[in-house]
Formats: sequence, C-alpha cells, structure tokens
Amino acid sequence: MSGNVRARRPASPPPGVPHAAPIATQRFPHPREDHLDADARRAAASKGFAPGRTKNYPPGGLHLTSVEWKLLLVIVLVASAVRLFRLSKPNSVVFDEVHFGKFASKYIKTQYFVDVHPPLAKLLITLAAFVFGYDGQFDFKDIGKIYDHVPYVAMRMVPATLGVATVPLAYLTLRALDCRTTTALLASFLITFENGMVTQSRHILLDSPLIFFTALTVFLWSGFCNEDKHEPFTTSWWTWLTLSGLSLGAVVSCKWVGLFTIATIGVSTIMQLWNLLGDLRVPPRLFMRHFIARALCLIVVPTLFYMAMFQIHFLILENSGDGDGFMSSEFQHTLGGRGMADTYADIAIGSQVTIRHVNTQGGYLHSHPHNYPGGSKQQQVTLYPHRDQNNDFRIYNASENGMDFDYVNSPLAYVTPNMRIKLRHIATEKHVHSHDIRPPVSEVDFQNEVSAYGMPGFAGDANDDWFVEIDHGDKRDKESTKRLRTLRTTFRLRHALTGCYLFSHKVKLPDWGFEQQEVTCNKNAVKDNSLWFIETAQHPALPANAPKVNYKLPGFLGKFLELQQVMWTTNAGLTDRHTFDSRPDSWPRLRRGINFWVKDHRQIYLLGNPMIWWLSSLAVFAYFAVRVFLILRAKRGYKDFNNTKVVKYDTLCGFLFIGWGLHYSPFFIMGRQLFLHHYFPALYFAILLLCVVFDLVTSTLRPRIRLQIAAVLVIVAIWNFQHFSPLAYGSPWTKSKCESARWLKTWDFSCNDFYDNYAQYNSIAAATPTKSEAPVATTIGGEPGGRAAIVVEDNAAQPIAPVDEHSTAVAPGKAEPGRDIFAGEPVKEVKSSVPAPAPPRDPHEEKQISQVVTQATDTPANSDQSTDASSSSSDKSIESELKSVAAAPKEVAGPLREAEVEAEKVAQELYPDDA
Amino acid sequence: MAGKGKTTPRQRRPAQGEASSSFEYDQVQDDEHVGDVYYQNPKNRNQIEQLLETHKGSAIVVAILTALAFALRFYKINHPDQVVFDEVHFGKFASYYIMREYYFDVHPPFAKMLFGLAGWFVGFDGHFKFDNIGDSYTTNHVPYVGMRALPAILGSLTIPVVYAIMKESGYSTVIAAFSASLILFDNAHIAQSRLILLDATLIFFMSLTIYSYIRFRKLRYWEFSIEWWTWLIATGAFMACTWGSKVNGILTVVTIGIAVLVDLWEVLDVKKEGHTMDYFWRHFTARAIGFIVVPFILYLSFFYIHFAILTQSGPGDNFMSPAFQETLSGNEMLLNSRDIHYYDIVTMRHKDTKVFLHSHVERYPLTYDDGRVSSQGQQVTGYGHNDTNNNWQIIPTKSLPETGKGRVVRHDDVIQLLHVNTNTHLLTHDVASPLMPTNQEFTTWPKDDHSRHNDTLFQLVLTEGHNGQAWKSKSGHFRLIHMPTRVSMWTHSKQLPDWAFKQQEINGNKNPTEKSATWYVDDIIEEDAEFEDLEDEESKPAVKAPKKMNFFRKFGELQLLMLQHNAGLTASHPYASNPINWPFLLSGISFWTNNDDKKQIYLIGNLIGWWTCVVGLSIYIGILGADLIARRRDMDPIPDPVRNRLWNNTGFFLLVWAVHYLPFFLMNRQLFIHHYLPSHLASALIAGAVLNFVLSDTFNFPISIRGPKLTKPKPSTYSDIGIKGPVILIGSCIFLFVMFTYLAPLTYGTPGLTGEQVNSKRLLSTWTLHFAAKKTHEV
Repeated sequence: MSGNVRARRPASPPPGVPHAAPIATQRFPHPREDHLDADARRAAASKGFAPGRTKNYPPGGLHLTSVEWKLLLVIVLVASAVRLFRLSKPNSVVFDEVHFGKFASKYIKTQYFVDVHPPLAKLLITLAAFVFGYDGQFDFKDIGKIYDHVPYVAMRMVPATLGVATVPLAYLTLRALDCRTTTALLASFLITFENGMVTQSRHILLDSPLIFFTALTVFLWSGFCNEDKHEPFTTSWWTWLTLSGLSLGAVVSCKWVGLFTIATIGVSTIMQLWNLLGDLRVPPRLFMRHFIARALCLIVVPTLFYMAMFQIHFLILENSGDGDGFMSSEFQHTLGGRGMADTYADIAIGSQVTIRHVNTQGGYLHSHPHNYPGGSKQQQVTLYPHRDQNNDFRIYNASENGMDFDYVNSPLAYVTPNMRIKLRHIATEKHVHSHDIRPPVSEVDFQNEVSAYGMPGFAGDANDDWFVEIDHGDKRDKESTKRLRTLRTTFRLRHALTGCYLFSHKVKLPDWGFEQQEVTCNKNAVKDNSLWFIETAQHPALPANAPKVNYKLPGFLGKFLELQQVMWTTNAGLTDRHTFDSRPDSWPRLRRGINFWVKDHRQIYLLGNPMIWWLSSLAVFAYFAVRVFLILRAKRGYKDFNNTKVVKYDTLCGFLFIGWGLHYSPFFIMGRQLFLHHYFPALYFAILLLCVVFDLVTSTLRPRIRLQIAAVLVIVAIWNFQHFSPLAYGSPWTKSKCESARWLKTWDFSCNDFYDNYAQYNSIAAATPTKSEAPVATTIGGEPGGRAAIVVEDNAAQPIAPVDEHSTAVAPGKAEPGRDIFAGEPVKEVKSSVPAPAPPRDPHEEKQISQVVTQATDTPANSDQSTDASSSSSDKSIESELKSVAAAPKEVAGPLREAEVEAEKVAQELYPDDA
Repeated sequence: MAGKGKTTPRQRRPAQGEASSSFEYDQVQDDEHVGDVYYQNPKNRNQIEQLLETHKGSAIVVAILTALAFALRFYKINHPDQVVFDEVHFGKFASYYIMREYYFDVHPPFAKMLFGLAGWFVGFDGHFKFDNIGDSYTTNHVPYVGMRALPAILGSLTIPVVYAIMKESGYSTVIAAFSASLILFDNAHIAQSRLILLDATLIFFMSLTIYSYIRFRKLRYWEFSIEWWTWLIATGAFMACTWGSKVNGILTVVTIGIAVLVDLWEVLDVKKEGHTMDYFWRHFTARAIGFIVVPFILYLSFFYIHFAILTQSGPGDNFMSPAFQETLSGNEMLLNSRDIHYYDIVTMRHKDTKVFLHSHVERYPLTYDDGRVSSQGQQVTGYGHNDTNNNWQIIPTKSLPETGKGRVVRHDDVIQLLHVNTNTHLLTHDVASPLMPTNQEFTTWPKDDHSRHNDTLFQLVLTEGHNGQAWKSKSGHFRLIHMPTRVSMWTHSKQLPDWAFKQQEINGNKNPTEKSATWYVDDIIEEDAEFEDLEDEESKPAVKAPKKMNFFRKFGELQLLMLQHNAGLTASHPYASNPINWPFLLSGISFWTNNDDKKQIYLIGNLIGWWTCVVGLSIYIGILGADLIARRRDMDPIPDPVRNRLWNNTGFFLLVWAVHYLPFFLMNRQLFIHHYLPSHLASALIAGAVLNFVLSDTFNFPISIRGPKLTKPKPSTYSDIGIKGPVILIGSCIFLFVMFTYLAPLTYGTPGLTGEQVNSKRLLSTWTLHFAAKKTHEV
C-alpha cells in the first residue's frame, strides 16, 4: 500500500442539487454513509478519510459477509483438491528434494550442516518428518531414488499445505485492498490453477513456504494500512503491525529472497511516513510515535524472529557433521564430537604441539612421508584439516647447542618472541625447512618452498630455523603477549635466513599432495595468511596439574554472525551453470521450465500456466505503460489524478507493481545461478495486479456480467491447467499430447519419454523398472537397453535418415538438482585421510601409496546399496560428490581399493555390446 | 544553471510572515525586499572581492593556476625512462598505429590515435613494443617524452576548465580557484596525466563536456540562437571525444543524457510556461541532433579513421571474424584459406586456447582420484604442439559423387573424424569427463567396430554459416556437435594429470551454443589423392588482395567484441580495488618500482584534497536531505535563489559524480582507483559549491544570458565572500601543497626513499608501498 490512500474527496455536488445517494461505483475509500450528520462528516473529513467510520470497524478493514466465509471454505476445498491430488506420487526423490530431504535427515541426526538458506522452512519440513517418525537414515542421493522408510508424504504436506493456504490469502488480500468479491474470487482461482505453483508446492522445496509467507505479509500489511487509515495506535492496529513484522521475519527466515519482501514493505512504510511528514496537522511528537512503532515492529521484531530461528537451528544441530569445515575452529568446538580435551597452556622448548592456520580453514600444519614431485623433491609440508599424528611437531631451540638441550629434565624454557626455533616433525623426524626454491603451485618470485628435511639423528641446518614473532595475545591472558601460550597467542614464523614468513592460502596442492592446502614461505606475506596459533601442546616436564586451556566457545551472536557470513559468501559464489538455469529476462515470458524428475516414462517439469503467466505479465506492462502515459498527460496539464477512481486503482496497482518490481528486478544484478522458480513471489504480485486490472476494467459493468467474464477466465485457466497437468503431477501422458502441448520451441520437456498411448502404462505397471532405465531415460534416441548400430549406407537420396531425425531438436538435459556448494567440499577428506600411523623407517619407501588405506575399506563395498547402513563421514562424502556427477554412471562409487573388482562391472555397463 | 527549473515536488509560494529566526533569510525570500539586499550593488562588495571579480583579476588567477598545473605535470616528465604500468598497452597501441598493424582493445580508439599521432609527430618509428614494465626507453631510442607530453598538456588544461566551470556556474573567483586547486594539487591526477595513459584525455574531455553543457544551459532564454547551437554541438562533440577516449566515457554520455531528459521534462511542463507540443518537438529535435546525431557521427568517424589506418595484419586479427580478417593485408587466413574436402587429412585447433585436437594410444585411467570411473577409452586431449597425432581424416556419412563440388564439406554436414595414427573414430558418450563431471568424455573407437557408430557422428556447424556454405581451412570457424547427445566438443585451459602428460582436457559441453567451443582447421595435411590435381590448380592464385567489407559491419563487429571483452576482464589483479574504497583513498596502485635506488611510483591521491571532497559531498547531501524534510514540514530555511543553485547547479555536479561512480558497484570486472578520477573531479566541484554555501549566501545571480524569452528581469545579486574567502583559499592551497609535496616522491617516482621514509609516507595502513622497512627483531 503506498499509504497515499488519503484520497482526494470527490468534488462536492453543485449547489442546488440535492445531496444525491452516492454512485455505486464510488466505493473508495469507504462507502459513504449519509446517516452521519454534518458535524460528524466534517470531523471525519478533517482526518483525511471520508465519513463512514462506524463503531464496529472490522479488523483490518475486511468487510466480509457471511456468504464470503462460505465461499472461502469452498475455495480452500478446491485448492486442496488441486494441490494435494496424489501427493504421494512419485514415490521417489524429485529435484531439490535431494538437498532439502537430506537437510531434514541431518536435522534429525543432529549433524551440523551448512546451507545457503535460512532454517525456517527446513525446520518445518523436519518437524513433519520427525512427527511421522522419520529416522534420518535415507540419503536422498539422486533424483529418482525410491523412498524407503521415509514419511515423504508428510514432508511434502508442509509445502503443500502452505501452498493451499496461499489461495485464501490471495482472496483476503484483495478484499482488504477493497476489491470486489468477484475479483478476489478470480485471484484465488488463478492462484489455485497455476501449474508452476502447484508443481512447486507438491515437493519438499522451500519456495512454497516462501510464497506463503510473502502472501501472508502482504495480507497483514494491507490490513494494517486499513487500520492505520481508520485510527492508529489502537490494539488492533498494534496487532496487525506486529503480525506483519513477525510474518516478515518468517519470509526472510525461509529464503533470503524474503529480503525483497522486506524491501517492498519498507518502501511502503517510507511512503506512509513521508505522507505523514507532509501532513502539518501531525505534530512531530506524534510523527515520532508513528516512526518508532514501525521501526520496532518492522525492523526489530523480524530481526529477533530471524535470530530465533537460527537459535533453534543451532540447538538442534549440536553434533559435528559435514558442515564443520566451513566454520572457524572456535565454532567447530561448540559441536558435539568436535570438542577437544583441555590442553596445557604453557609452551616451552621441547613441547609437542599442533599448529593451526588462523585465516583459512585449511587446518593443521602437516607433513607426511611423501615428497614433492618437483622443486627440491623433499618431503611435503601441507595444511591438513583433520587431527592426525602427522600434525605433531616438537619445538627445539635453534640457537647454539640448542639441539642438545635436555628439555625433559631441565626447567621449562618458555618460547618467547624472537626466539630462534626449529620445528621437528615427530613422525618422520624431519625439520620444517625452507629454501630458495619456488613452491609447487604458487610459482612466483616471492614465494619459497617449505619442506620437511633431515633424517633421524641429524641436527638440521640453518634453513630449518625460524624466528617466532608474536602478533597478538589474548586480552585476558596477560602472559600470552609475552610468550607463546596455547590457543591464546597468535604468531608468525619468520625464516631465519631468507626473512620470509610461513604462509598458507586457499590453494590446493594437486593430487600428489592429496589436495591438501599449500604451505609456502612468503616474502610479501599478507599478514592474515601468515598467522598461526598452537592448538594443543604437551610437554614431558609439565606436571599433570599444570594450567590448561581450551577454546573460548563463541556465544549465540558470534555463531550467528559467522554463519551469516559463510552463507553470504557462498551464496554469491554459486555461479556454476546448471542445465536448467535461466536468466531473469526470460521469466515473464515463461520461456523455459525446469526438468524436475523423469522416470518410468513420466515426467515432472516445472512450467507455469501459460495463460495466467502471460496475462499477468501483460497486466504489469499495461499498468506501467498507462502510468507513464498518465504522467505525461499530467505534465501537459490534464487533471487525471483528480479522479477518485484513477487514484484508487493507481494506488492499488502501484503497490502491487512495486512489489512485483522489487521481487523481480534485483535478480538482474545477481550473477549467481538463477531458476524459473525465483520468479514465483513476483508472479504472485503480478497475478494480484492482473486481478486489480480486471476489477478496474469491469468496474462499470453489472455484477452479473462481471461474474460471467470472471467465470470465462477461470474456465480458460482451468483448461490450460489440465492441459499441462501431467507435467505437474507426473502422471501418464502420451507422446502426441505432449508434442501438441509444446507451444514454444523453448519448452524442453522431452516428449520422447512418454509412451505412444496410455495403455502402455498399464502394461508396464507390474514390471519392476530395469536398472538401466533411469540413467539413460532422457538421452534422446537412447531407447533404454541398447543402441542399435546404424550401418553406413551409400544412399545418396536419403543420407542417414535416423540421424536427421535426431537432429530436429536439441536434447533436453537431465533432471539435475541445484548444486549444493557445501556438499562438494568435504570430499577431500577421503583422500587426505592419512592415518599413517607408523612413521616409515626408510626414506626410500616414500613412493609407495599409503594414502588410501584403512578407513576407506571399512565402508561398505558398494555405497549404492548402503542406504541404511553406514553414515560414516567418508561414505557420505563420496555420495555427495557423486550427486553432482550427473553424467557419471552412478554405480561407480566403490572405494578405491576395490577398483579392480569394479572395473569389469563398469565396463560391462558402459559397453554392453562389447561383451 | 540557476533561476529556473525547480525540481521541487511541490510548488509553494514562500510563506508570508512566517516566524523565521533569521531576518536575512526573510529578506532574500521576499521578492519585494530584494531591493534591500546589500549585495545587489556590485560596488558594495568587499574590496578584495571586487578586485578578484574583474576580468583582469580572474585572468590572473587562472593564469597562475594554469602555469602551476603545467609546472607540476611537466616536472621531471622524463623520469622514469622506463615503461610504467599500462604504458605497456597504450604505448604499444601507439606503435601499432605507426606500423599500421591491426590490434584489438576494449577501449575506443580516439585517445590512442592521439598517442599514435603524438608518437608519429615526435618521430617514434613504432618498432619498440613496450612489452614489459621497466623496459628502458633510452636504450630503445623511444621519444617517450613527446608522447607523455600529450596527456600532461591535456591534464594541465583541465585546471582552467574546472575553474571556468565554477566561474560559469556563478561562483566567485575564490571558490572557482578552490575547486581548481583541489585538482591542481592532486597527486593522483598528476601521476595519471604524466604517463601514457588514457585517463587524462578522458578527464579533459569530460570537463569540457560539462563546461559546454553549462554554457548551453545558460543560453536557454535565447534558444535557437547561433551561440545556443554552437554550445549544443560543442557539448555533443566533446561528449563523443570523451566516449571515444575510453569505454568509461559512456558514463559522461549517460550524465548528459539524464540532464537533457530532465531539461526536456521541464520544457514539456505545461504549468511552467505553457508551451505547445510543437515547441517541445522543436526542442526535442534540436537536442536529438546535438546530443545524439552529432556525437554518433563523430564516434563513427573515429572508428573509420581507425580502420583506415590499420590495414595490415597484426596481433588483433584473431579476435575478429574470418570475414574481417580477410580485409587485412598479410593475414594468414586471407592467404591460406582453402576449401576442405572429404577424406582430407586435417589438423584442428581450438580457437581460444589454440591447442590441437589430439589423441594417442594411451587410455584413460580406470578410476580417477575422486573415485569416478572412466570408460578406459583412448585419450583425446588438446595438445599445443604439432605432431602427427593431431591428424584427423574427415569421413563422410553420405555417399559422395566421384568428383566435383559434392566432395566439399559443407555447413551442417554430419561427419566422422578418423584419427589417422590409431585408425579410430572420434567418439563421445554419456560418461563424465576426467575433470568435469558435468561434461562428457571424448574418446575414440576402432574404425572397424560399428557397434558404436551412432556415437561417432558429429555435425559440423559453421559459425554464422548458411546452408551449403563450404568449410574452409583457417577461416571456417566451426563447432562440432555430437549427434546423439547434442554436446559440443569443447576444451578449457585446465590440464589433465600426468597420465595424460599434462595435456588439455577435451570434453563435451552440454551447451550446444557455447561460444568458446569454436574450432578451426589449422592446416590441410594431405588431400584426398584423386582430388589433388584439381585442387592444385585453383589453390595457387596470385597474391590475394585484401577483401573489402562494409564499414558499418566492421564497426558493429568491433563494438560487440569490445563489449564482450570488457565484461570479461574479471581476472584478479593485485591492485584492483573495490569502489567503496575509492573516495576515501584507501588504496592505490603501484605503477612502477625500481629496486636499485628504491624508487617507486604509487598512484595515490592527495589525502587532504580527497577527504575535503568527501566531507563536501556529505555536507551537500545532508543539506539536501534537511531541506527536503524542512520543506515537507512547510519551512523554508534556504532562500529560493540559493536553493535553486544548490539543486540545479550543484545537483548537476552530483549527477556527474554519481553517474561516474555508482555504476562501478554493479561491475564485476577489474576495477582500479583511477576509475574514480572523473568522479573525483565532480566531487571537487561540489566541494567548491559547498564551501560557497557555508561561507555566504551570495553568488553571481542571475547567470543565464538574458534573451528574448525572459521578459521580466530578475533581481540580481553579486557574489561576495569577503576577506575570509581568499584566506581560506590560500590556507587550503598551502595545506594541499604541503600534502602534495609530502607524497610527491611517490607520484614522480623520484627521489628514492629509504625504508623509514616509505613507512612515514604510508599515511594509511592500507597503502601497500614497496621498500617499506620492516621492524626487525633479531635476537
């Protein structure tokens, strides 16, 4: 609501004419009621609204008759029928259920994860899953995977119910915006029969809750605006305002797209306040009251709500999971299973320490018995994210005779600033070493290689020496600035001979370094990347009761802010292409949909109802054009804006148009992956706008005619809906029907997947789908089973007919879930899981591959069947990797050791003809 | 820019008899009382003011400023005698103009042609190629001082233009000199205009555009007069020069565009002057001619000259389409392009990465490191060097006539590619490629095994090909689309691991229209034997003359490429910075360093000047906000003429600032602090206006030239800042100059600095200077 609904009063009737009954069309702002006497009318007018203030003002200005309540009930029933129809089909994973189902599992298993979306919608889905007894053991690995012991219907009920609830909200919103019943009815039916919204709300996806809360916010805000026009600061005024704020919090807690809703309400509020400011009868004090009330309810309340959601999120996810790696080490230690025993605070010569890099999540300074393939060919030094014996180093004094220092029996010699030390890798008895050789990846002049060098018994050379430079200590630990203290002191290590600093950055070593993070010695080191701290320390001479320390655990606020930052940076980083992504300019045209699911000759393809979609876009652009025209006319002196009707509809359309624009245009400046479903909130506004335009166009018609026109529109919409409904419900369809439904060339659902007639569906129903069917289903020309060889024929007249047939259309891509950027990362853990328990005795042994040992063999041999078995992290990460490997045959997930065994199997499947 | 043209949302008569705190305001507000205003008589002004406001006084001031500007910009212009920063590019381009070799750059050619002209004028022979920062000019005999003189002159001339802008806007000499001094003593402007860089040209023409536009606006009561037309056309012409200097110049065009739209909007207003639509259209046409037609013709003519000069083949050839390349003499494509026939053996190269399509007997490993499994087929890779393993034979999939034209491979033909050495067909299938799980693996399949025949079929799609177009070597850019899966053969610069000898990965890109999936036939190794005789005859014509191409098609193609490449400049650069840092001068750019005597050039502005501008800007925005709110509450704290000047004139400066600054927030490309220099100039103008507002309510008013349209003369006032003006001016100049000299070693790159000195020059901790002394704690 622009708030500018303090409409000009209609011109007073010419003198002499009796005060006629109001014209029927003049329904704005409120029906005139002539029973008021002159004084009451004047009083009302002076407040800016027409008379009509009655004592029993309905809440939110919603003048609903009892018939309308019954009508609403009917609408809800129809909407439920449309949206809940066969919700249990398909009984396999659809599109991004891959992610959101998985997140529900993780909530239930209380394993920490990170996602780019705030938690509310996911929590609701989880709640449903939990209530219906889901144990969190299903892995939601691939699109098309059959559900097994998952209350997926209950989970789908959450978005579906909210989707149904959007329908009456649309009705109520338009009623609150003072539109006619017919208009509101039209809106509710258009929303009901919008194929895209139906498809979206039937699966475990976040957009349906988002649309619901957006609709709720718009409704509550309209109600509030009505209250505000009537009388501010009443109880019901406060109620509507607070509810609006809560609802705003809910929108933004579903998806960050909700920020656009906040912007919409924000713009509306600012316009309201601006008008209030211009009203000289409002004293500054009253204005401030208005201002503060809105700031409180529309800024503070949503923020608190949003934070509360995250508090719940943190409370549930109390255990370590695969999202750990994205968080700081302090954060990680708040998670169960990640905790660390207290460690000794003092560090002295002879301490056995693990050293962590401050700025990246690369982990611990690490070395392992493998050499650099190039450079000095000495032993690698890397950063490794997991705890491991190979992270242990012992500090030696590097100044004269320091190596002979008997640290066990002598008194403690603390490590102080500028002390010259050596770091000995305990497992291999080599020293951290640097020299004037370029590192393997960052081959630039100012970087030196860091390696581990030496041999048992060798005291080391001067290139092993480092100076300790304390950067800062902890405020509460005075000692920590004076000498090294575990966890409290942040320090740098300067190489004694070359002056470079021990450094690491987010650069991964290639395969030979197990994709661990590169460690170098940098002469121009960025300070943040050359800071280190000691995480654990022990010393043989320390008594057991020596002071111990542990991580300072961050409070809620710290965790909250850190997570926001991670979400933000990752969200911006989602720039990979997806087969079905699209740019915003194509959305209002409904140029292309999204392939959600293909299986068993059925398909779910997100596509809007073309009629509704195109009409709504048309309405938006028509309003825009008319508004521009009116502005030009006003500039040339026409007095259109003195007309009450123009003002009323302009206010309504303007509000909805701003909502549409703010939910749509920001996508143009986003570089990230975008999908058609990002348009849905804007579409909701567009549909409402369409209905307001309908209200305007039919305003001079008789109610019966208006109703008839609306009925025609609804019938056309329903016809459109049923025409495309097989794509929404994933129900049987025929090839010919599908082809005839392809109205635009760019709609790339693959008709070849459907049977030629419905009878075939019944025949196949009994048979279990064969294994090879799913992966090749969408490959064009790929009849499941095998590829018929085509013999080259010297047929000049008809060269390669089958080929030409294929070339007629671009093959559609496969259904592929959106990329979960947080899923890819932990894969590295598998490869770098270097237990390396025993230090190798012989330096010449280094060539052997000891990397892929033990842990991997513990996992089930074939993760394809391991849905209910293991949830160990390594297994999962293989899966998460595979999930993004749409093109890869999925049976290839065997652990590396089994490679040979698997080889035959795979070859068979790839080349069936070969056998 | 004053007087007319209220942008106020509501028009209200000044409230009469309102209890305002300041009687002075009341006086100015009321038209009737204007006569009493002290400043109405020029003789009443302060003595100094009177002196400065005379033509002579003003001329002396501007002469001093200009002389200083030349001095500061030409001081030691011959140092360093080495290539500095982007001279690498722009110097090189100048040499291309002199050598007439075709090159490609994202910026329009005007400024670069000026450099070419300057180089030619001072006798540069064009053989030095400015390859690296630090290459010596003296040893290579490059008359670099002459080339650097061009931006230095333009940069110096910017100062009087800035002065004139303020003067024309009705501010007093002192204020105009203040704005000019902000630019005059600015280290960043000086550093930027002493080197062969485009920005000095850009800024000079931008300030000229602003100046002419103000002159044009001042003539609005005298519309369609000769002067009016002159300044109108001049604005358009300078605008074209700005745009022609650098891509960023388009922002100046946008600025003027917005200003003109606002202006036309007022003309359209029926309430203001009650003009007819006819009158409006006359104005509209005049502006369309002056601001659209003229600049566009000028802009085109830059390119016309550009193409006319660059007629030889050069380093820019490969960016252009084959048709374009054939217009350049000496172009390889022009010389070696031949039709390709079936059964020819060819080598194919990827257009962007220049690798050959290669295959060898080694196979893909069974499993990759991430656990995925390959087909274990023969490897297909991209290989940078010539090798017989790059040879592929084109096998038809249709029956061929014995001889004749039917044997030519054409657009949209379906072909197979036979790897000659291993006798296998190129194939792709639904298996993930080694490095990119989303793309398909390419491998080969034995020739005699027909079981996978379908997967070896590829469709040849020529870029911008039409039906029946023949496939040519060199010039025939094509994409290879796999028939069954519709992926296109693609490669990217990522290397495969050791098992493939670090060669480049080739895979199938799911986007069949991917631009970077373009290949061309590098050479025809061996032609089909029976066909060879025929071919020989036609393939040996005399030296081919360059073809002709329509100028507009050339222009269109180049424009498109410039746009694409400009957006593509996203690689990170160590000195690239975020726009939010710019006004506060948080980071600079290291242009040049010399390790021997610890000299360096670091682009950084005058800290005092820049922060003054920021303060001025914030005060200005604060004033506007306060004024808006106050008027909303029906208070008029600012007298109307002052407010009009604030909104219309200073508002125009703000527009210049915002349009030249804010769009950078939306850009993903590499951004540098020197992109802010045009905005900085605008902010200096604003700072001057704000200083005027703070010091006094007076300025020269009205400034618009009275013409036939303005019947009733407006009451006039004269600017008078009194004695405090010159004092503040001199004080600020001293401060600016001190700061300037303090930072001057970084600007001029001389003298060398010790580590401690570098540390002391590092006024903000975010500046990354070289040779800084590190605190050492040796034990």
